[in-house]
Amino acid sequence: MKWAFRGALAIIIIALAVWIWVTLFPGPEQAIRKRLAELAQLGSFAGNEGQLAKGLNAQKLATFFTPDVEISVDVPGVPRQKISGQDELLKAGMAVRTYLSSLKVDLLDINITFGPGKETAIVNLTLKVQINGEKEFTPQEMKFALKKVKGEWLIREAETVRTLSRLLNEKREISHRVGSA
Amino acid sequence: METVTEAPVQSPSLVRRMVIGRNPKRTMQRVVILVVVCFVIAKFVLLPIQISGPSMLPTYGEHGVNFVNRLAYLFHEPRRGDVVAIRLAGPSIMFMKRIIGLPGETVAFHEGHVYIDGNLLDEPYVKFPSSWEHEPRTLGPCEYYVVGDNRSMPQIDHSEGKASRDRIVGKVLL
Repeated sequence: MKWAFRGALAIIIIALAVWIWVTLFPGPEQAIRKRLAELAQLGSFAGNEGQLAKGLNAQKLATFFTPDVEISVDVPGVPRQKISGQDELLKAGMAVRTYLSSLKVDLLDINITFGPGKETAIVNLTLKVQINGEKEFTPQEMKFALKKVKGEWLIREAETVRTLSRLLNEKREISHRVGSA
Repeated sequence: METVTEAPVQSPSLVRRMVIGRNPKRTMQRVVILVVVCFVIAKFVLLPIQISGPSMLPTYGEHGVNFVNRLAYLFHEPRRGDVVAIRLAGPSIMFMKRIIGLPGETVAFHEGHVYIDGNLLDEPYVKFPSSWEHEPRTLGPCEYYVVGDNRSMPQIDHSEGKASRDRIVGKVLL
């Protein structure tokens, strides 16, 4: 019984030490996951968000992206949309916060692939969006290209992924660039 | 002469016996085994899912609960008519669709009917009228054509199309 207790205690101590180490010195993967969790939190807003908070949060959200960010949204039923640069992104963010009463963003199934030197990364994830407090949600597969700038992971490209393709030879632009990242 | 009376043996109460049994240690072992077995089954064999959205009506209603059998395609490839779960980036959210086209086949929609390699496909599970139209599309060697049973929806609002084999997580059980 004694050895079992000692063994359990040792496992708990090791797990605690690993957790403390990872929290204090996160690896690139943990850093990206933390960054994306913050992004989802900032992207979400409740109905009672004030005008000042709207502006501040939209500005803060824009800092998660590089100044030359390219965002491409291609979903069925909507013309292809492209956002280029932080300023355009900020305007789009403000428009969303103005027209929608609330938004809940979740980033699920985050898969990270690092480029050489771990200075760039490609993230494949599922975006879950709930608008105006509705129970129904819209899932969308996304691909992000991230770049480490002054120790911070910033999104330099984002695009929607067609999980079920309708075209004959659909291109996946970001995944094509994984090799050169 | 001294008499010695045996102290009455304290038997566990009925409630305690029903909850943790006569042997708590053994009960604990059983609970641990049961939890591990349930976890392994739910994670690797039968994924519990909740259905959201109208695209599989009337075969599967909204908010219903079902399971995805991850081992269904261990010994054979997916077949036409199978209702499968298709992952997006992972298994947290999946599309639930029916396979209508197999690798190498050409799939087309005309006046709401499906044509495989030019032949009309019999679909008894489609109950609502449809007017979908789509030019023929040929599937690659590892591609399946999947679509929901509810074709009364506008085609643009309905997620359907080619899914690669590696995206098919398993077959819907019930």
